[in-house]
Amino acid sequence: MNKTGGRMLKKYLIKILTFLTFFSLTYQAQAESFKIGLSNGWVGSEWRTQMIDEAKEAAAAWAGEGVEIEILVQSANVDVPGQIAHVKNFISQGVDAIIINPNSPTAFDPVFKQAKAKGVLVISTDAEVSSQDAVYVGIDQKGWAAKSAKWLAEQLNGNGKVVAINGFAGHPANQMRVDGYTEVFNQYANIEIIAEVNANWDQAQGQQAMQTLLATYPDINGVWVQDGMAVGAWRAISDAGRDNIIATGEIRRDFFESWKVEGYKTGASVNPPGVMASALNVAVHMMLGKNLKAAATDGVYGNAIYIPIPFVDGTNFDTVYNSMKDEPGYYSYSEALTIADTANYFK
Amino acid sequence: MHKNNKNISLQLIRNFPFIPSLIILIVLILLNGFYEPNSISIGSLVGLISTYLALMLLAVAQTYVVMSADIDLSVGGVISLVNVSIVAFMDHFGGGVYVVLLSLLLGIIIGILCGLINGFVVAILRLQAIVATFATSIFFMGLALYIMPVAGTPASDLFWLTYFENYFGIPFVIYALSFIILLIFFLNKSRFVKTLLAVGDGYLSAFQGGLDVTKTRVKGFLLCGFFSAVSAFCLTGETASGDPLVGTKMTLLSVAAVVLGGGALSGGSASVIGSMIGVLIIGLINSLVFFIGTPSEWQNLIQGLSILIALMIGIYINIKAQA
Repeated sequence: MNKTGGRMLKKYLIKILTFLTFFSLTYQAQAESFKIGLSNGWVGSEWRTQMIDEAKEAAAAWAGEGVEIEILVQSANVDVPGQIAHVKNFISQGVDAIIINPNSPTAFDPVFKQAKAKGVLVISTDAEVSSQDAVYVGIDQKGWAAKSAKWLAEQLNGNGKVVAINGFAGHPANQMRVDGYTEVFNQYANIEIIAEVNANWDQAQGQQAMQTLLATYPDINGVWVQDGMAVGAWRAISDAGRDNIIATGEIRRDFFESWKVEGYKTGASVNPPGVMASALNVAVHMMLGKNLKAAATDGVYGNAIYIPIPFVDGTNFDTVYNSMKDEPGYYSYSEALTIADTANYFK
Repeated sequence: MHKNNKNISLQLIRNFPFIPSLIILIVLILLNGFYEPNSISIGSLVGLISTYLALMLLAVAQTYVVMSADIDLSVGGVISLVNVSIVAFMDHFGGGVYVVLLSLLLGIIIGILCGLINGFVVAILRLQAIVATFATSIFFMGLALYIMPVAGTPASDLFWLTYFENYFGIPFVIYALSFIILLIFFLNKSRFVKTLLAVGDGYLSAFQGGLDVTKTRVKGFLLCGFFSAVSAFCLTGETASGDPLVGTKMTLLSVAAVVLGGGALSGGSASVIGSMIGVLIIGLINSLVFFIGTPSEWQNLIQGLSILIALMIGIYINIKAQA
């Protein structure tokens, strides 16, 4: 009698405990809420606007997982001190995490240290930062360049004279890209880089640079040009009637339109505006207390998580083109890691 | 009695042209505190000064050339050049105390040399200041890129840890700020600033009055170079690294701050303290726009509009005072 009574009690206890655990778990999941600050220090292109918009959408999607996210945005043209002020403002507002597209790779070391001391998670995206108090989530700019360089070299059958049109001298991402294509082209004995110029990621300057190059070197076979200048470069190539030239492209919808109509021979590495959304999803997993499967040790500063770089060429052009048919001309082709994708990075 | 009061306040503004901007500054601090109480804690206000100290010094530098009716569009280039030079120097010779001190000396020399080049092309060769200094800015920027082709070299730990350190419970930047204000105070008392302003009022009348206009203008550029170098020290302390592009966006802000602080680009009237306040006004407007919850698409527009309004208020009050 006594024994059965004890067993009954145990049964009840277990039931109650299970219920309580279950209840508390679901309750906890519902109660998770984070404040995330997004800082963007340059608003000179639609790419950046799309980056912020996609990050906001990604944050809203977490509601489906029972995680409430409040997004605070500071997006304006600022100098480096101005963007340091962004970070300090976010700390004043008591955010849980800051996701930043930084204006300088190194200048944020001290302020990120302050943020970390206050328990704020800092993630940089699109451009790597040297601070060991931050994690970089984005593409490998060197790999981005290597991918399109390899494509170009293969299209040229490993043979020919190539020119390169680059962005801004002294910008770290630009330097990494230069390293990326130089490494690839050097692997091909018969590919020669005959000229490299800077056109500051500007379409008009890209077009002028291409015109000058075409006039100076009549025997160009291939053009490796960075995004933001490919539209201009292609215009110059078409105007000169040099249809035999193979050049890399970019990922804006208006470029895809000309690509389709003119039948360009081109391919483009994708630097998706969705990088900030991917970074945000990684940040939320981290704030939920999950641990990375492999520590963030990639990159020049050993603090990066590199995400896959999509590539668009003749083989998948129609799919990509149709996927963004209804978007405006300035829209860039984008892919972002979803909540489920980023979950795979964690234990 | 009432009229008398009004006269006194107008007299005050005439003597201290930065008073309107000071009022705008106080209003902005209060508004920031209203929308985000944390933003006016002592820690945050020190943070504000530490963040904008470099730009404040750059505005000081700019003020001394604006006084003599010149303008210097190369200050951003000088900042970049001094920043990468001292960081490269410290990196090459190790970051000991003597190396850090030597690097400061090197920075000052570079700043003054840049000022000398600007003074030479503007005052002696008589090129238009706005175009000539734009050209030298490209030259300085090119030199900076030559010294450090890509951003990323860290500054010596000693250097930036000092910048963030507290001494006797007071942050280093407060000492730096006090020292600079003291320096400015003595400069203001000096005959030199009066000469600069007299030259700015009109080259011809200053010349007829027996002033050496060319020499004065060159000296203005030298002082500008000196303060740009000190500004670069603060920037290096705040950012702990070398970046050849860091100064690019700071040039025009320094000009805007001078005007916000009650200075006239036509020369003859500018307040160094006012220019420093002007920088804080720009910084606080940027924060306020965020704290009141402006959507990101509108932030640039609202910031620009607010700066424009602050400018108009200042100019309106000054015109009233001059009348």
